[in-house]
Amino acid sequence: MLEMRGIRKRYGAIQANDGIDLKVDAGRIVGLLGENGSGKSTLMKVLFGVVKADSGTIRFRERALVNHTPREAIAAGISMIHQHFMLVGAMTVLENVLLGRKHGAPPRRSEVADRIRKTSADFGLDLQPDALIADLSFGHRQRVEIVKALLEGADLLVLDEPTSNLSPPEIKSLLGILRKLAEQGRAIIFITHKLGEVFDVCDEVVVLRDGKITGKSAIAGATRKDLAHMMVGRDISVGLSRTDRRPGKEVLVARKLTWRDSAGRERLKEIDLTLHEGEILGVAGVDGNGQSDLVDVLAGLKLPSAGTIELDGKNITRATVGNRLRTGLAYIPVDRAATSLVAGMSIEENLGLRDFDQPPFRRRIWLDHRKFRERAKARIAEFSILARHPDMPVGMLSGGNQQKVVIAREIGREPRALIAFQATWGLDPGATRFVIDQVIAMRNRGGAVLYIASELDEVLMVGDRVGVMSNGRLIGVVPRQEVDLAQIGLMMAGGFDNPDATPTIKS
Amino acid sequence: MSASLGEEEQQGRTAPLNPPADSVTGPDSPHASDVLRRLGLAILAITLSFVVSAIFIGLSGKNPALAYWSLVRGAFGSIDSIAFALNKSTPYVLAGVGVALCFRARVINIGGEGQIAVGGIAASWVALSGSGLPGFLLIPLAILAGSFAGAAWAAIPAAMRLTRGVHEVLGTLLMNFVGVLLVSEALHGPMGEVGAGFPQSPLFPEQAWLPALIPGTDLHIGIILAVIAVIVCHFGFWHTPWGFRLRLIGSTETAAAYAGVSTARGFAGVMLLAGALAGVAGAVEVLGVHYRLIQGFSQGFGFNAVAIALLASLNPAAVLPAGLFFGFLEAGALAMQREIGVPSSLIYVIQGLTMIFVLCALGISWRRQRV
Repeated sequence: MLEMRGIRKRYGAIQANDGIDLKVDAGRIVGLLGENGSGKSTLMKVLFGVVKADSGTIRFRERALVNHTPREAIAAGISMIHQHFMLVGAMTVLENVLLGRKHGAPPRRSEVADRIRKTSADFGLDLQPDALIADLSFGHRQRVEIVKALLEGADLLVLDEPTSNLSPPEIKSLLGILRKLAEQGRAIIFITHKLGEVFDVCDEVVVLRDGKITGKSAIAGATRKDLAHMMVGRDISVGLSRTDRRPGKEVLVARKLTWRDSAGRERLKEIDLTLHEGEILGVAGVDGNGQSDLVDVLAGLKLPSAGTIELDGKNITRATVGNRLRTGLAYIPVDRAATSLVAGMSIEENLGLRDFDQPPFRRRIWLDHRKFRERAKARIAEFSILARHPDMPVGMLSGGNQQKVVIAREIGREPRALIAFQATWGLDPGATRFVIDQVIAMRNRGGAVLYIASELDEVLMVGDRVGVMSNGRLIGVVPRQEVDLAQIGLMMAGGFDNPDATPTIKS
Repeated sequence: MSASLGEEEQQGRTAPLNPPADSVTGPDSPHASDVLRRLGLAILAITLSFVVSAIFIGLSGKNPALAYWSLVRGAFGSIDSIAFALNKSTPYVLAGVGVALCFRARVINIGGEGQIAVGGIAASWVALSGSGLPGFLLIPLAILAGSFAGAAWAAIPAAMRLTRGVHEVLGTLLMNFVGVLLVSEALHGPMGEVGAGFPQSPLFPEQAWLPALIPGTDLHIGIILAVIAVIVCHFGFWHTPWGFRLRLIGSTETAAAYAGVSTARGFAGVMLLAGALAGVAGAVEVLGVHYRLIQGFSQGFGFNAVAIALLASLNPAAVLPAGLFFGFLEAGALAMQREIGVPSSLIYVIQGLTMIFVLCALGISWRRQRV
């Protein structure tokens, strides 16, 4: 159905696409696998007409696409579903579908509503035309995007990291929907950097690295290890450098921690947790079960409604963020774009984001820019941050390097305890590995870590003890050797009355 | 990494409008070229606005070249005209630098006019009631009173925002009307000059007049205060923890909270500072130009301050040239009106066009950054 040949695209000094051939047949799901910056996005932008390739040809359904615009790509039958949805929250499903239709006579609402219902029924999307987007979970919003694409007559769907915002049950149903679409003869390009999903849903897989294709294979003949190797050019499954050590004394202790939101709902229910020296407590769980409230309460961004928090025996339940920091509590939040980094500030300023008003960075009433610079240089070297200059805005770094800046700031100050919340979110395998290595190195030096992630594999790999957040409670904390996968799966699903129901995630 | 790839990833929303000019460190620094580009764009925008305004002058039947020549002479032609223009610029710079800091912290303070008005009232009251004091005491006291009054005036909308959630745009805007009417009220009541045909206060005692900076001219020492304010704000913003906090608050609230910075305290602080600076502007205007409180003396200053802050692309140091530009433009316009008969309202056309072109130019440079 689609044939791209010899696509080349250069941005300045970077050869983003270096002679890529991609062939996608009808009824097939092709996984496009690669680290951030491997050239996946550029290739898809070329396909969709957002950027123009320097050379190469595209044929779609026996027709050449030359100098096409995104609108022409849609008209030809190519649809792109972005990682961040392009929906209007205050409008209904029907209205959002109508919004996307630009050509031809304005369609009748009732007609379109019927088609939405029919498509929804055909593919098991469970969508009501008059539901408000703002009330839908991320999984359902994504289905609205899929319906939009189908009603536009898409034969080829490109999904960019479609699972990054979804909970495991939502992912499962998405993969089912994609299968059905393929059975009906549509072609799908599935962009991802998660190996597991490639095996779950794709028929074939194409691996990109540094703008070149490093591997092509039918899924039947591929192994995880091979693909990972093609993707990063090194073996990422090598063991972690975890030294066996006896957990030391208690560092961070929370007792009966309860937090109610402004509407009075109990979001955290009497959580007891203890972090020991040289130990990582891994916490799994479906997003939205109180993880973000727990880290915010521990880090001092929210005050608990009841309960106490102690750090090295000192009561910090109501201490300010700054005081917790000075007592030795570090925090890596989930959101790089708006919380842990300021994109418009330089690397050196971002490294000083949380202690700029402490000596030596403050000298009397002044900021000591030299001290900022000195530390930035040291951290950039120590954490191998890829940056031209400490004065560069953090927003110009890649996602992985941005997270390195956060890691360098939080772990670089050698804290007593670290709270890491989704610390590898949105990172490619290489950067993920870097983050995990740094967390484990901190633990090996005697630090205490609370490691919360939504990927169970990751929690199991990192944690010395492992528990699950479910419906505002921390349950089933056991040493890693005693983990029972079936048990954990049950606990993760246990927060819902109906295990098949999709949890609604508030945006 | 190539610049074009990097810029692609930049989040425009959280980036400050302008990087610190002083932290330019080397040829590979991203800041140096950026500052130059913005300066070039500002000059281009001003040139364009003059070209377009020339068309309007031509349409009104006057020779644009002659009109501009008289404008230039009116602004720079003699020591007196320069003194006049500098005096005009002074309140603009004082109020404008406060507004620039507010906008940097994403506090939309458009209450300059009211803050200037009450600053003028307070300074006048001190000047009129302290006639027994020598000038070296009376003048600082009057200016101090002006700054406190301006800060207090800004504190009201700040408190409304922090305790009741009333947006500061509304609060500061409405307090403008109250402040300006308060001047009328004072002049029709306790502070008015008996028997004067115009709502104005009696002349201040001479020791309350701001001393001349250059003897024999009208140029008063206010411009020194304005320059000091700009320098202090520049260093305060880029080189102190206080400024760092403002920049954080202006980027995202979540990042500020994560860094342990109180948004409320930063909000209150920058509002009070801007109010105090506007209050000083009001004090300088009555003590240095009119030597009395007159109705409507703060007319339009507050909004010009916003325009100047934006023209300076919210960079405290750049408020000085931006404010001088506005001041000299107005001074020249008055001469243009006198000599050629071009209506001085055309100067508002030039000001307006400059603003539009500058904002568009900066907007373009924005888009280039975000691509």
